[in-house]
Amino acid sequence: MSTERATPVADTNQSRPRARRTTAIASVALLVFAVVLPFIPPFTGQDYQRWLVGAALMAAMAVAFDFTAGYINIVNFGFAAFVGVGAYTSGLLAANLGISPWIGMVAGGVSAGFIGLLTGMLTLRLRGIYAAVMTWFVGLALMGLARNMTEITRGSLGLNVPLLLDTSDNLPYYYVILGLLVITLGVLTAVTRSDLGLAFRAIGQNLQAAKASGINPTLFLVVNFTLSCAFAGVLGGFYAHYYGILTPDVMLTSHTVEVLAVAYIGGRGTLWGPAIIAFPLTIGVELLRTQFANLPGLHLVLYGIVLILVMVYWPTGFAGLVRWVRDWFERRREGGRAAPAQAQPGA
Amino acid sequence: MTTATNLRSVPLAKRFLSFTWIVIGLVVLAMVAFVFVQPSIVVDTLVTGGMWALMAGGLALVFGVMNIPNFAHGEFFMIGSLVAFTVFTPIQNWMLENPDAALVQVVGPFPGMVVAAIVGFGCGVLMEGLLFRPLRKRSRDQWVMNTFLLTAGVSVVLVNGNRLLFGNDFRGITRYWDVKPIEILGVPISVDRAMVFVIAMVTLAVFAVFLQRTRTGRSMRAVSQDETGAQMAGIGLNRVFMLTMGLSCALAALAGAALLFMFPSFPDVGVQPLYLAWYVVILAGLGNVQGAIVGAFIVAFLQTLAVYYVGLGWVDVLPTGFIILILLFKPSGLFGSEVKGVWEQ
Repeated sequence: MSTERATPVADTNQSRPRARRTTAIASVALLVFAVVLPFIPPFTGQDYQRWLVGAALMAAMAVAFDFTAGYINIVNFGFAAFVGVGAYTSGLLAANLGISPWIGMVAGGVSAGFIGLLTGMLTLRLRGIYAAVMTWFVGLALMGLARNMTEITRGSLGLNVPLLLDTSDNLPYYYVILGLLVITLGVLTAVTRSDLGLAFRAIGQNLQAAKASGINPTLFLVVNFTLSCAFAGVLGGFYAHYYGILTPDVMLTSHTVEVLAVAYIGGRGTLWGPAIIAFPLTIGVELLRTQFANLPGLHLVLYGIVLILVMVYWPTGFAGLVRWVRDWFERRREGGRAAPAQAQPGA
Repeated sequence: MTTATNLRSVPLAKRFLSFTWIVIGLVVLAMVAFVFVQPSIVVDTLVTGGMWALMAGGLALVFGVMNIPNFAHGEFFMIGSLVAFTVFTPIQNWMLENPDAALVQVVGPFPGMVVAAIVGFGCGVLMEGLLFRPLRKRSRDQWVMNTFLLTAGVSVVLVNGNRLLFGNDFRGITRYWDVKPIEILGVPISVDRAMVFVIAMVTLAVFAVFLQRTRTGRSMRAVSQDETGAQMAGIGLNRVFMLTMGLSCALAALAGAALLFMFPSFPDVGVQPLYLAWYVVILAGLGNVQGAIVGAFIVAFLQTLAVYYVGLGWVDVLPTGFIILILLFKPSGLFGSEVKGVWEQ
């Protein structure tokens, strides 16, 4: 396997204790940084804190997206619709039955996961592009339902949803979504490190070989897809109770493309890459949007160009860049002592 | 492309008892029935079906020849409508000032469409040269998925580039030809819509002759069947790829130009045509151009039914349900070909 390969590259951290320690230190440092970030100017302003909430939400969604796209190599083009299913479930439960948003978020995850399960059973018999397009159609159909069942969802008039917390201050929301991001990243990373993750990677890289080694691909594909959709649903619940108003536009395909762009720019098949890159990307985009308010669309044009450049010239994304830098340092440190190339399987 | 030959080798009875033909037969029967019940449904189906056939034909062609599932196909529809508007507006103003120039009244709309198709062709060639060729050079690993995501990026750039350069305005015209509606099957139908159907049919016919009879068309089909084989026979791949991408985008741009009176130019105007072209292509089987043309009419029929009997909002929901049902029975689409191995990546 060459380093140029666009397929998810197996994380070799387990086999290298020192690298593992570095990773642990880096993650703790990043987490501490994310926790204190709202107290560092200019992030103390309400605008910036709102963007931070958006960034953390985007990070968590990109992680859940990358869990399918990067590992089993199925691109869920209806991702935004599953977020929307969770949002509407939670929002409707809270608005109509007065159920606590915290329970509603879990319920959103369950319902999105259930619809994901059905969609997965239906489409994951098909491979690659067919599955991507079918999930897209399912997403469009779900959005059509949300638009048309106006007596339940109020359609494009928008559904008023009770807020998650009794405050309009952004800071508490930031810590809630940061917690959700850590949970999402933690759970999904744990899954990918387990035997289950090994099966996912095997299927994503080479379906035939995976079949030959006794893996039932459809089962694992569906498990993976359902899990990703369930997390999307929980995040959708947060979305609903943070913004307080819900329209079917949350399910637009363009939102899926945004999540996809973050996941791919971050580095597919890594989970941590998208989680980190979402912050500078989202905040950069928001800054561009406010600085150039007279130039609508500029921020999205740049977004698209970055995605294109990454796709064509640097397919491993931000995570690939980090690995490249790390390897470069390692080569320098070990220079002359041993031939490092042989000691790094899969790198 | 391969289905035509496959069908010929199957016994006649078996051919018509297959699932595909039962579905087509049912649709045709329903259409015939509606001639008596609600003729406007049939007319609407034919008119919109013609245009979706142009869109979907181009999409299927690019997939068949280059294995690129083009998510940005709708954006060429958008470019076409923008170019047609820019070219047609001065002509229209001139026509309003000189109402006696009968010849110009008749041919006035065509320059816009032709220029739109040419610009579409140019954009397609540029996209192939600037994006797909470098990617092809770097790696063909997971080509289908990578190009799909790449075109998603292209779509974002084009839509927002349009917004950036031309703003969020609707640029539309009320009609191309300022004449009284004509009647078909007792249904009054505007000349614009009738002309759209004619334009679609003529273009598709020219396109079919080009693919079947000319040397270039044959080389395109050869590449779609077997790239390596075609290369060995001395076909320059780069040239064929450029031409294919250009043609496909030209068809989409032409559709956008011809439908300017229904879809005013707007940054997001390509979204619905894109969905529909994809519905058609998935229903028919990826990469099958002839199938896409038949599929376009099936989808147009479902859409028209949804508009008439369920409501405008359900236009997307009904075809989706139908396509999911079809794919349950035939995962590779109605006319799915056996070239599965190529794209099953």
